[in-house]
Amino acid sequence: MSWETVIGLEVHVQLLTRTKMFCGCPNRFGAEPNTLVCPVCLGLPGALPVPNAHAIRLAARAALALGCTVHGRSVFARKNYFYPDLPKGYQISQFDRPLATGGHVDLDSPERGRISVGITRLHVEEDAGKSIHDRIPGRTAIDLNRAGTPLAEIVSEPELRSPAEARAYLTVLKQILLYTGVSDCNMEEGSLRVDANISIRPEGATALGTKTEVKNMNSFGNVERALEAERQRQIALVEAGGRIEQVTMLFNAGSGEVRPMRSKEESHDYRYFPDPDLPPLVLTPQWIVEQQTALPELPDAKRDRLQREYGLPVYDAKVLCSERPLADYFEAVVRAGAEPKAAANWIMGEALAGYNETAVFAVEPARLAALIELVKEGTVSHQAAKRVYPELAGNGDSPKAVAERLGLIQVADTDALGRWVDEVLTAHPSEVARFKAGEAKLMGFFVGQVMRKSQGKADPKGVQPVLQERLSK
Amino acid sequence: MKIGSEQVRHVARLAELAVSDDEFPRLVEQMGRIVEYVAQLDELPAGPERSAFLAGPESVRLREDEVRPTPLARTPAQMAPEFVDGLFVVPRLGAMEEA
Amino acid sequence: MSAVAHIARAVNAGRTSALSAAHEAARLLRKADADGLNATLHWSEDLLRGEAARVDAHVGAGHAMLPLAGVPVAIKDNIVTTEQPTTCGSRILEGYVSPFNATAIERLRAAGAMVAAKSNLDEFAMGSSTEHSAFGRVRNPIDHERVPGGSSGGSAALVAAGVVPAALGSETGGSVRQPASFCGVVGVKPSYGRVSRFGLVAFGSSLDCISVFGERVDDAARVLAAISGHDPHDATTADRPPLELDGPRRDLRGLIFGLPKEYFPADLDPGVRAGVERTIGAIRDLGGSVKDVTLPHSKYAVPTYYIIAPAEAAANLARYDGVRYGVRRVGPEGDVRALYRATRGQGFGAEVRRRILIGTYVLSSGYYEAYYGKAQQVRAAIARDFQLAFTAQGADFLLTPTTPTPAFRAGEKTDDPVAMYLADIFVCAVSLAGLPAMSLPVGRSAGLPVGAQIIAPMFEEARMLGVASALEAVVPAAGEVR
Repeated sequence: MSWETVIGLEVHVQLLTRTKMFCGCPNRFGAEPNTLVCPVCLGLPGALPVPNAHAIRLAARAALALGCTVHGRSVFARKNYFYPDLPKGYQISQFDRPLATGGHVDLDSPERGRISVGITRLHVEEDAGKSIHDRIPGRTAIDLNRAGTPLAEIVSEPELRSPAEARAYLTVLKQILLYTGVSDCNMEEGSLRVDANISIRPEGATALGTKTEVKNMNSFGNVERALEAERQRQIALVEAGGRIEQVTMLFNAGSGEVRPMRSKEESHDYRYFPDPDLPPLVLTPQWIVEQQTALPELPDAKRDRLQREYGLPVYDAKVLCSERPLADYFEAVVRAGAEPKAAANWIMGEALAGYNETAVFAVEPARLAALIELVKEGTVSHQAAKRVYPELAGNGDSPKAVAERLGLIQVADTDALGRWVDEVLTAHPSEVARFKAGEAKLMGFFVGQVMRKSQGKADPKGVQPVLQERLSK
Repeated sequence: MKIGSEQVRHVARLAELAVSDDEFPRLVEQMGRIVEYVAQLDELPAGPERSAFLAGPESVRLREDEVRPTPLARTPAQMAPEFVDGLFVVPRLGAMEEA
Repeated sequence: MSAVAHIARAVNAGRTSALSAAHEAARLLRKADADGLNATLHWSEDLLRGEAARVDAHVGAGHAMLPLAGVPVAIKDNIVTTEQPTTCGSRILEGYVSPFNATAIERLRAAGAMVAAKSNLDEFAMGSSTEHSAFGRVRNPIDHERVPGGSSGGSAALVAAGVVPAALGSETGGSVRQPASFCGVVGVKPSYGRVSRFGLVAFGSSLDCISVFGERVDDAARVLAAISGHDPHDATTADRPPLELDGPRRDLRGLIFGLPKEYFPADLDPGVRAGVERTIGAIRDLGGSVKDVTLPHSKYAVPTYYIIAPAEAAANLARYDGVRYGVRRVGPEGDVRALYRATRGQGFGAEVRRRILIGTYVLSSGYYEAYYGKAQQVRAAIARDFQLAFTAQGADFLLTPTTPTPAFRAGEKTDDPVAMYLADIFVCAVSLAGLPAMSLPVGRSAGLPVGAQIIAPMFEEARMLGVASALEAVVPAAGEVR
């Protein structure tokens, strides 16, 4: 039996606002517990929510970047359930009138080529606090600093067909969200969280199988692993004659396994109803257009443009566009005078390694461009330039000054070159004779010898003509 | 529409309210009375969803994203029934276990 | 001159001090306690002195005049204050002291008023008799065997007993107008969104209004003006500045009062009927007129209310879980769920538990459309009825009885929840529509107070209060109606 896998993903991202969704408490990670709290996010008697304009703005931008329709009228709803880190006993979210619906994420599926995965909806809601289970034995400790943080929930259509595709979707989704600056999408810090729904069905069937929910995955790699494990489990179960139950599975990163949640919970009845403390969210068409206009150039469009405008190959464009600061840096270096392909090579090589570690570019665009220019004019060799580059960090010296300091300036002066050539030819009379007798490939030997004699300083492009000239005498 | 004791038990679970065995029959009877009373609304035809009532302003006023928390005259530590190392503390999750 | 105006004028002029007003209030509070009214839950002479000191310092420094300088105001104990507990009449909040003050409290203080006491109420404002307080029932000062009405019974009793000239209460389905009628005082419910709910412990969020009791119309009006106006902390407040009162009104020339026929059933209590008829006579004497109008969906008001209010309450009371504040109890299983169920099961009284269960039921899967969804549609129809009465049917205001009977005896209606709900039959629809309305004492029936209700169009409190003060001048509140 051939099985098709059906996967849908729910992603929650924390929005980059100064304050929480419904109160003026700071929206900050890492503070002392229960210090970023107030009557509203503590759920004290008499407290009332007031929505954060910037959170709405960021959520709308995220929705537009994902090709969604942002609705002029959406409604906040209460999602009712009891849990120790949910102060009010309900979460303010959105239910049947969400902020946005109907978008898509385009990505390269590892199995199916270019695909477009639908986005069912994007809505805003507040985060719950944090429950800490292993701090005090037999008890749960709660920190409400996170309670009330603004979230955007992004729900995909169940159009992903493999765990690898799910991972690819997440990578592209994160890229788009980072481009728009709505979230820092950091799974380690919890600013991006993923829950997955997965089911299987016989290849060719149209009806959906029973799905399970998979939670507790803390990296995109683990999402893929968890879904692969759950997929195998479902297939094995069904092939052995069993039936899939609609349960929630938790992923264990250590073992790589999924197991059902211990509690035999009846599925939640959230009893959604419009929150009477919050009138409808009304957004004018004009305002929505303003958010669309404020969107930066998105990854796909930037990639296409980089290829067109700078003649870059697809691979280079992809790498440079993987993060917006990279692409911006590239364009700045080109604007400062560097030739695009050379700039791309340098950035994908030297600059990227440093950026991946420190999240900053060690060398400003103007100086990288200047370094690239030095190589182009032949003032330093490419090898030498690679030695100059690390020396440019942490100071303001011009690349030329650094090259000079390191003694790496290439010598192109024909007199100097002539002297070295003469020395080499004098030292290797038999090779000279053999060359003159017809062994043309000895030219490479002579060039190499001149480079050694000059300790790498000779400009290789200038050496060959001088050798030619001397050897033809 | 009538309400039976299973439904009352189910709703008490959803609302996290313990109901003692002695109170239970009386409660079912009273809830039945109330549900029967409010079911008078069945006499009226259902209308379109957009005809629901809206109290208050037509659209919500949003707040600027400025740090301005309402000051607390009393800290969480002073209000909490159990508070250790800056954290609210409750018994183990048990039946409520989640990720 | 009303008591509020009198005190404020004297204190502003330096003829008397807020401190002496505080001493007098303390004396009266002690007497009320001794009389067994059980109308207060917390008050202390020290706190009163503290309030007074602030006012006297302001006056002494020669700052601007304060509209409520030195006026002692009782506060229903579901409005949070930092100086003393807020229990909402419930064991689950016994000893809870709020770390912030309600906006209404801040505005009262800014106007120079003094918080005199926190007054007793039906638990979480759920009730119509103040018999459902965890801390004992309140006695009607006119007749101790009878209820003062509810849920704001404590505040009503304190004004009726002359302890304070004004008090704050709250309305969700008539909880100020109804006790005002039972106790023979003025009770004013503003338009929904006129007064900030920030700091009012939520019961039915789309219905709740902080409302005001006064000895006389002017007392209530001045206090209402002081606490009203847009509040950035409450997204449901209207975008309007504080209420500006009209000048006193001498006549009602040209004004039409609609009499909704649904509010005058054949079996209406004769004393209540007589009180309203006397008021109609006064309207005519003052140059106004009356006409019949109809509010066809009236009979659905109470059932609609008892779907919407409990549903919102069930969600609003979910926060009382013993985790972060208040009282905590743990059940035998010893886990978090046992904590919730024991804390809530034991901390909430029977009426509150019933309402939470009904509210949870009407929102639950499979029942939402039939109950909550339907109720919101019927509510819109009820609101439209009023709108038509004020437009197509040509009424400037509506006049009705406030309650179907005068105050009933304690214990009379506690056996059957629905019987208690029917006490709200004339006040409920107004709450659903969000309109401003008030109860004016219009006489006595065998010694028991009778109230007439005036209902105004949305945001027309000022005109309504003007009309009421004109009627107050000519309708003797303490006289027998027959």
